[in-house]
Amino acid sequence: MSRWRPILGPAAAGLVLMILSHPRVAQSLVGWLGEAPRRALGLDYLAALALHHLVLAGGGLVLVALAGLGLGIAATRDGGAPLRGGIDTLAAAAQAVPPVVVVALALPILGFGGPPTLLALLCYGVMPVLRGTVGALEAVPREAREAATAMGLTPLQILARVEMPLAAPAIVETLRTALVLAVSTAAVGALAGAATLGTPIVAGLQNQNMVPMVQGAAATAALAFLCDAAMLGLAALTRR
Amino acid sequence: MAQGLSSDPRVRTARGTDSGRIGAILAAIAFLASLYGLPLLRLAANRLVVGDPVFAEGNFGMEIHAAAGLVVAAVLIFGGRRANLGGAGAVTLLLTAVALLALGLGATAADLISGEPPAARASLAAGAWLAFAFLAVALAIAVARAGRSWLGPFSIGAVLLFLIVAGRAGAFDGLSLAVELRARRDTVLDAILQHALLSGGALVLGVLGAGLLALWRRGQGFVEMLVGGIQVVPAVALLGGLVALASGLLHAVPVLRAAGLSALGPFPALVGIAAYLLLPLWRGLRLALRAPDAATLDAATALGLTPGQVLARVRLPIGAPILIGALRVAAVQSIGLATLGALVGAGGLGQVVFDGMAQFAPDLILLGAIPVIGLSLAVESGLSRVERAVRRHAA
Repeated sequence: MSRWRPILGPAAAGLVLMILSHPRVAQSLVGWLGEAPRRALGLDYLAALALHHLVLAGGGLVLVALAGLGLGIAATRDGGAPLRGGIDTLAAAAQAVPPVVVVALALPILGFGGPPTLLALLCYGVMPVLRGTVGALEAVPREAREAATAMGLTPLQILARVEMPLAAPAIVETLRTALVLAVSTAAVGALAGAATLGTPIVAGLQNQNMVPMVQGAAATAALAFLCDAAMLGLAALTRR
Repeated sequence: MAQGLSSDPRVRTARGTDSGRIGAILAAIAFLASLYGLPLLRLAANRLVVGDPVFAEGNFGMEIHAAAGLVVAAVLIFGGRRANLGGAGAVTLLLTAVALLALGLGATAADLISGEPPAARASLAAGAWLAFAFLAVALAIAVARAGRSWLGPFSIGAVLLFLIVAGRAGAFDGLSLAVELRARRDTVLDAILQHALLSGGALVLGVLGAGLLALWRRGQGFVEMLVGGIQVVPAVALLGGLVALASGLLHAVPVLRAAGLSALGPFPALVGIAAYLLLPLWRGLRLALRAPDAATLDAATALGLTPGQVLARVRLPIGAPILIGALRVAAVQSIGLATLGALVGAGGLGQVVFDGMAQFAPDLILLGAIPVIGLSLAVESGLSRVERAVRRHAA
């Protein structure tokens, strides 16, 4: 039971925020804050936005995971040493370009909607995953690898049967951070016209309409916490 | 030069085949490919439409080809065994290539729009941006190989000085980015100042908050959950929530409104940004305070130091590199997050970016984006230098 405990906090936070995004609750909350409780967003519209948000963030996570894991595995092979030197520098450089800026810069080239958001997800997510993967694979004890070689396993078998299982918990942890980043970046994508839970926040801020803004903010945060809880669950499964 | 060669301890860089050399060759090939394979400029009827591509072939003067030649020469120098001498030579050649490329692009842009109506714009296209990016990579490798720590800041300073002097002289007047900057110089300068104030203020607020949280000994488990939980909340959502809370607070305590606070503006942005900085700062502070080992602390106590003196003379000096590392991470995050501050009306460079998005004007977006990236890179490299210096000093 104890290995499921870390999930409780984020899951509870997610559920509370989900209730907060309900039209009735958000309306009375805004009324209680002293603003005029105007029309709220319907549940079905909110659910459609949440689904699109999740698809965008999930798609981004898949791309980020493929690129980050692939490059991370390549960089930790024997011939990959030249790659490793540049990774930290590149990671620092990528961090200097905030997702909003990537979305903004990609807007004239890729147009409105999902594509600039996906590009921002990739730019911002790949380097942390790559760095995490390299760290996780380098932390695999040398003895384990040597023992596998002595048993006559091929390099590919060593990767699949020894290195990846040993590195799995750390890699899942990296992917958890990447998913939270992806949910956050997808919300920023609303600025480029992607229909996500960020859309009511941005529109509400522009029109001074507090109810949809509170709903959007609570729903976005709820989605992030629930994704976090799901990845923590996955991490608990890999740790065993 | 000669004495630098004999005293330089980095023998590693003198080896014939290392990752730096391979990286330099790859960067040079990528540079040539983007210079000759992709459009360098786009000529458009006005600032809002995407223009027709202009390639290097036939449209440009000698500057472009000379820049290409210099890059090839610089990479050939990497083959030499004396890496640090070759590195310094390569840096000189590459810096000249940057200048030639910029001048060539400016001259051709001026040529292109001279026969067009006044609204016509010549803007930098993918090939030019990628060429500059790969030149920067090659320069970074050359600076690293030269093994002199002042060469990096010197190169950046030289490029900036050249761009300012040549820009003042009108060498880039044909480029759309320069036209956009001329029209909004004051707005952009104000935005840079606002951005610096916003991110700096949030950093100060974050340091104060992290310090208070670290002082609360009993509640560290709760604090960890709190600052970790904030990281999960997407920034757009946190800012929205803070605006709602601030407006509620202003309704409950109207005196605050009289004091000049408002629900939109820098107030929620500062609090929101600072909230994200709590995690790196609090974690850094805790690690830094725990950095000295038990024997050192025992010795300090045995010498008769009071707890306050132990903190000031033992814990903080030993933990200083960790603290500065945390400050570096937080400062870079702060500059990036401040871009979103414009969403709640806090101004800054994000406002320029959002204006550009609203008008669909790529060069206006760039005008806001380039200073953000420049600020973060400057803070990142500056503070990591301080971090290394303090670490050497402590060791």
